[in-house]
Amino acid sequence: MSKETMSRRDALKIGALGTAGLAMLGATNAMAAAPTEKDVKFNEEYDVIVIGSGFAGLAAAAKAAERGYKVLILEKMGRVGGNSAINGGAFAVPMNRDQKAFGIEDSKALFVKDALKAGLGINHVEMLELIADRAQETFDFAVKCGAKFQTGKKPTWFGGHSVPRTIVTENMSGSGIIQPMAAFVEKLSGCKMVTRAKMDDFVMSADGTTVVGVTARINYRFDNKLHNDDIENKSGEKKVYKAKKGVVLASGGFSMDKDFRMLQDPRMKPDMDATNHEGATAGALLKAFQIGALPVHISWIQEGPWASPDERGFGVAPLLTQQGLFVLGIAVDIRNGKRFMNEMADRKTRADAEYVVLREDPKAYPVAIGTYNTFEEQIYAAVEKGLASGVMKKFDTIDTLAANYKIPADALKETIKKYNETAKAGEVDEFKKQTLKDVKGKEAIEMKGPFYAIRLVPKPHHTMGGLKINTKAQVISANTNKPIPGLFAAGEVTGGTHGASRLGSCAIADCLVCGMVAGENI
Amino acid sequence: MRSKKTLLALGFFLILGVMSLVGSEVKASSPQLNITPEMKEKFPIKPHHEKLAFKCTDCHEGQGDEPENFKAIEDKGCLSCHKTKQYLADRLKFMDALHTNPHNSIHDGPKLYCDECHYEHKKSDNMCLSCHSNDVKLWMRATP
Repeated sequence: MSKETMSRRDALKIGALGTAGLAMLGATNAMAAAPTEKDVKFNEEYDVIVIGSGFAGLAAAAKAAERGYKVLILEKMGRVGGNSAINGGAFAVPMNRDQKAFGIEDSKALFVKDALKAGLGINHVEMLELIADRAQETFDFAVKCGAKFQTGKKPTWFGGHSVPRTIVTENMSGSGIIQPMAAFVEKLSGCKMVTRAKMDDFVMSADGTTVVGVTARINYRFDNKLHNDDIENKSGEKKVYKAKKGVVLASGGFSMDKDFRMLQDPRMKPDMDATNHEGATAGALLKAFQIGALPVHISWIQEGPWASPDERGFGVAPLLTQQGLFVLGIAVDIRNGKRFMNEMADRKTRADAEYVVLREDPKAYPVAIGTYNTFEEQIYAAVEKGLASGVMKKFDTIDTLAANYKIPADALKETIKKYNETAKAGEVDEFKKQTLKDVKGKEAIEMKGPFYAIRLVPKPHHTMGGLKINTKAQVISANTNKPIPGLFAAGEVTGGTHGASRLGSCAIADCLVCGMVAGENI
Repeated sequence: MRSKKTLLALGFFLILGVMSLVGSEVKASSPQLNITPEMKEKFPIKPHHEKLAFKCTDCHEGQGDEPENFKAIEDKGCLSCHKTKQYLADRLKFMDALHTNPHNSIHDGPKLYCDECHYEHKKSDNMCLSCHSNDVKLWMRATP
């Protein structure tokens, strides 16, 4: 067809093609595919780049640095550690030395069984086995980096575990691991941590198959006033870093991502409180999806059933309920004064039970009730704190307590009477509560009072889902079903390990073990 | 005569003083750096700094003379007067007993950026509040 003879119809066709082409261009812009090494100029070069400075990131960095690699850690926030620095410092170590010293029998099979029960059976068992096999060794590695734990005593018993297997840091915070580990990494030559540095994109090899670096912005200021910081925040100056051995993605979960968490569970409204730090968003996870990483279990978001609507964030209630009121006390539905769950079940079971109440009446926050005998000695200071801040209230009689929360008093008294009688007789509890054996012959809730109470609400706490990794912490590609060369991941940004719901104190185990494994294999 | 001498000396120093004042006046009163009421409203400074009669360039040193282009002075700027983070942590050491020292918290130690909480030209924010909404008022007063 010559130009001269081009018909009007042909001209229209070409015009249409042109428009389509433009539209496609627009689409690729919006999609902004990951850049390749041909598109960028590297500002700095490292062996390993770690995204995130929590348990997983620091374990990966420490291990890689120890192997002599030059490591760069990029942390989006101004603080080091993310959720790990505000975590409770509880580390489940199956078959640990203190268990042996105190005659507690534990095994890999028992640990896996406990995790599968809480995880509704959809856990990736090979990852649980990896944690069981290497938790003690990882614990020792953390100690080598300077972490301090409360050892030489009977391990702590967390909900859903068949046996006590949890060791807590000396300062009862994850910071007891984060601070020394960060110092350990920064001391090693060639290693560097940059805070307020946000990873923007993976940089791929020219053929698009391999992760060879990242683009990032330094002097980035996370802005909690923005609805979606990942998309809206334009602060910082661009840098491009080359990673000769690879990138470890340890950017954490997305419990504070107002958009992404609501996509997974539309009931999680933007104003819903969570236990996480403000920066726990899905940005980096989505970048991994963009280069083909496989997603697993994304919509399983664990909510902490031990939080309170009377304070923001994690607060003090989780300590006062988990190591307090829930152990020997009860939780009741304020509308009828009756119990509605095993207060020591796994997190999902309890959160679901609380939601049965809250979905019927969103203001009917259940109330946990107990007496002083329920508090473990190590949280006595927190008891005062809870009372002073008003999260926990103290009542001399059941009548005043019932009146305060508008619980039918007679029904509540009947509930407590029945609960105490069953426990005293050593009979099986109505909800099969497993922590009442020691009160046989005694009152679980001491009727002389005073009585302590906390209102309950589940808060998003840990996102179970994330990237699929194998037992070498390599991220698996949806395009090949094989590892994406140069990309490793560990911690909450990964998924599958804990199935539908993670057992308490298994996060540190997961993050540190898989972080260390990433550092070994990169 | 003694009094004459003194007077002379006094006069000499007075003149010197005025000259130096004039000198600094000339330097500071370059038109861009006049602190106008509008600028004062746009970039208010904290009362404790205002008391010390701070000028813009006392903090924004070597950043030119266009306030709109001034950059945050970062930790280094704050610490040029406030010494070190460890010094600031030690000043509130009495709060360590109850683990409530904001400059040496359980979570972060003496490591936080100053402007994680303290802002000069707007209301400061207390980062502890994001998790300890009920406790902070028992622990400390408003963040200066």
